[in-house]
Amino acid sequence: MDADYADVRYEDNQKTAIRYEGPDLRQIATYSTSGGHVRAYARGGKALGSFSHLEDGEEIARQTSAAAGQAAQRRDRKLRLAEAPALTDEFPVEPEHDPRTVSLADKHALVEHYNRMILKAPGVATTICEYDEFSSRRVFVNTEGTAIAYDLLIVNIAGLIVVRGGGVVQQVRFAFGGSDEFGRVLDRDDDLQDRIATACRLLTAQPARAGVFPVVLDPDEAGVFIHEAFGHLSEADGLQGNPSFREKLALDRELGREILNVSDDPSLLGQPGGYMVDDEGVLGVKTSLIRHGRLSGRLHSRETAAEFGEPLSGNMRAVDHQFTPIVRMSNILIESGDSTFDDMVASIEDGYYLVGARGGQTSGDQFSFGAQWGYRIEGGRLGPMVRDINMSGELFSTLQAISMIGDDVTFGERGGCGKGGGGPMQLNRKSGKGAPHIKIDHVTVGGAS
Amino acid sequence: MNRLLAEARKIADQAELYWERVKTIDVLYRDYNLDRVSLTDLSSVSLRAIVDGRLGVSFGVSPNRQELVREAAAAAAHGGSAGFDFAPSADYPQVRNASDATDGQTAAELIDVCERIKERVQRERPDISLMISAHTQVRTLDVGTTCGAEASHRATASSVGFGAPIKGAGTGIYKSASSVDPIHDLEPLIEEFLEWYGWTEEASAPRTGRMPVLLAPEAAFLFALPLCAGISGAAVARKTSPIFDRVDEPIIGDGLTVRDEPLRDGDPASRPFDDEGVPCSPRCLVERGVLRGLLVDQYAGAKLGAASTGNGYKRELFRSGTEVPIHTWPTHLTIDAGTRSFRDMLTEMEEGILLIGGMGFHSGNYPQGQFAVQGIGFHVVRGRVVGRLERTMVAGNIYQDFLDADVSEERREVDSLGGPILTPYLRVDGLQVAGASA
Repeated sequence: MDADYADVRYEDNQKTAIRYEGPDLRQIATYSTSGGHVRAYARGGKALGSFSHLEDGEEIARQTSAAAGQAAQRRDRKLRLAEAPALTDEFPVEPEHDPRTVSLADKHALVEHYNRMILKAPGVATTICEYDEFSSRRVFVNTEGTAIAYDLLIVNIAGLIVVRGGGVVQQVRFAFGGSDEFGRVLDRDDDLQDRIATACRLLTAQPARAGVFPVVLDPDEAGVFIHEAFGHLSEADGLQGNPSFREKLALDRELGREILNVSDDPSLLGQPGGYMVDDEGVLGVKTSLIRHGRLSGRLHSRETAAEFGEPLSGNMRAVDHQFTPIVRMSNILIESGDSTFDDMVASIEDGYYLVGARGGQTSGDQFSFGAQWGYRIEGGRLGPMVRDINMSGELFSTLQAISMIGDDVTFGERGGCGKGGGGPMQLNRKSGKGAPHIKIDHVTVGGAS
Repeated sequence: MNRLLAEARKIADQAELYWERVKTIDVLYRDYNLDRVSLTDLSSVSLRAIVDGRLGVSFGVSPNRQELVREAAAAAAHGGSAGFDFAPSADYPQVRNASDATDGQTAAELIDVCERIKERVQRERPDISLMISAHTQVRTLDVGTTCGAEASHRATASSVGFGAPIKGAGTGIYKSASSVDPIHDLEPLIEEFLEWYGWTEEASAPRTGRMPVLLAPEAAFLFALPLCAGISGAAVARKTSPIFDRVDEPIIGDGLTVRDEPLRDGDPASRPFDDEGVPCSPRCLVERGVLRGLLVDQYAGAKLGAASTGNGYKRELFRSGTEVPIHTWPTHLTIDAGTRSFRDMLTEMEEGILLIGGMGFHSGNYPQGQFAVQGIGFHVVRGRVVGRLERTMVAGNIYQDFLDADVSEERREVDSLGGPILTPYLRVDGLQVAGASA
């Protein structure tokens, strides 16, 4: 190959998917796919190639290498890779209760059980109840001597409870699992009953009012907030080609108050975003992103680490062989503070307590995300339940507005994050979000029309 | 392919094989620099099998993998009642959406396209960080069933996109175009990009309250996706759609006519058959505000006691592809144009918003027609754009707020969250706006 550097990742992927929609078992499926991905750097240019059939790999590698040379001719800033130690090792996943050893019949019975529980409840209009298990055996080699084999494994049962009454339809999400342990999706009846009851109560809730309010976010919502609003901006590939943002996010810049500490930690293997080695052959390590309110680190690929002159973090990951790895959060976490939930509520005269993440989106420093339900806060006390809540804001002023951080860190049990990174959208299951309750002094809340 | 179906016939009552091959070349520029060239040569298959009336699915990369049959049958042993038959043989309509010129495009040619855009924009805006992408694709799709369907289709697509983050803001201005043939004339798109980018110099926050909103084609998904969720045959069958019993009744304003047009020659979104091998045909979904048709796949058809309308696709909000289960989806949604120009509609606004995008759509309760997004676009005062939106949320419900919607004479095709839409600008008299000055 006519390349200064090249690597190849080849993988065998297995998936099991079971999906109920209402009483109907819509899908029960097994997946067995394989394929490879090549990256080549030549004279400062870069090219990528994906293939399904092993026998096509050599030709794709040749074409990719040639394309890298072609790309170099149109660059005035040459791409470089930060030095990384050559690894030769195996990184298997060995859970105590391995979902890969559980029969399809048992998995199906479990999903059917949860789905029936929901459908039995009065007011439930329909459900989505899904089992999702993904395992991947990957082999990675590069021209610098790295040759590793590693596993990824994650299992979830998740879905939607859809309720209808009085001309209103509402939905509440649930998720169990988010790790390689099958045990975490078992015996979750009580948790599910709580969610069903919440969904039913939403039918009599009023829509939130639009405006700017102080809010308390529960750990699920706070985790999505820090992931969407700040986490994506800590992914260095998003700052490549965006000089004005890069300037805004210089290390040691004050982003929040002294109480704010944020990190990314792939070594939390029991959480959704845990892994040992990334898809660039670099070991995953904990990275402090905000320390005492100041920007203290960033998530990197070898390419961005070289460009920024910062340490490797091991955050280059690809969903599967169709995609090139991009810089992604692993388990992002707002670290514990010393406030209590009661203190936060008591400090608000007119605001909201927002509960349960309902997805989010970010573009640069602008963010938007939803809450599944919430409560009015009036005169320092929790008031009636509210529904139809979305909120948005701008990162820098919102981080400064985090005025209280709780002592009750909790991780969401379902990962998930969509990012394009200049290519097609990659929906990554293995992305974790953790946080305690937090109070933000002002957020724009967009209520129902 | 036929061999696998023959094998499947031995142990399954019915089987359906879906086989997709995609070859692509992509070129990406960032900040006026060529960042990467990407090549793919991918194959993927799914096999659905009905055994004793139960449905199971298996996935792989090649139809030569004989285990697919055993795995699909094993899944079917635990599967739910299929309730429908796979597609029978059919005469498929003709549609021209393959071009030898696109098929033969090279990375060097795509780089040349990007270089032309780079030179044109850099002349006027050397101060911005321009991103440019060019993409060429050849896709071959075969869908065969043991019930007689034998559908095969080859399509090419060439697309170009470019844009830049707004200086000092988090959002950006982006434009794209796609065609079956290689794209040559990008000047109108570049001119619009430069005009829009020029409008971003200042930020301006509207007041909080209800005000007129003009949705550019890039923001039309805020209307189109809730509508598609509402007219989904599956949602209607489950009665979770807010319009499940409203066929032949008005559901939105009479200024809006919405169609599914799968057979437009030269359009990369066109298809002679859907992902279940059912023939596609042009249909009116909403005629002058009145609901006329639903989107129906094989499953929904069985639930509704109706035939599939050729709207079963392996597609959902943020993804599509072989591994995605079949959902009801339009092949190619179009909204009829009106008679007034976009410029006239803009200048008539006393205070309002020109919306060119919205963040956080999927966080809302859109299956019920609702949306609440952080608005990306411009604040309009006395008919003039006074600045880009900042910290502004826009919320509405298409079944309540689009009763007076008006449409422009100009239409543009945009790639939306879930697929292509050919749409004019949509003007709505009043949406709820929460501005930063609230």
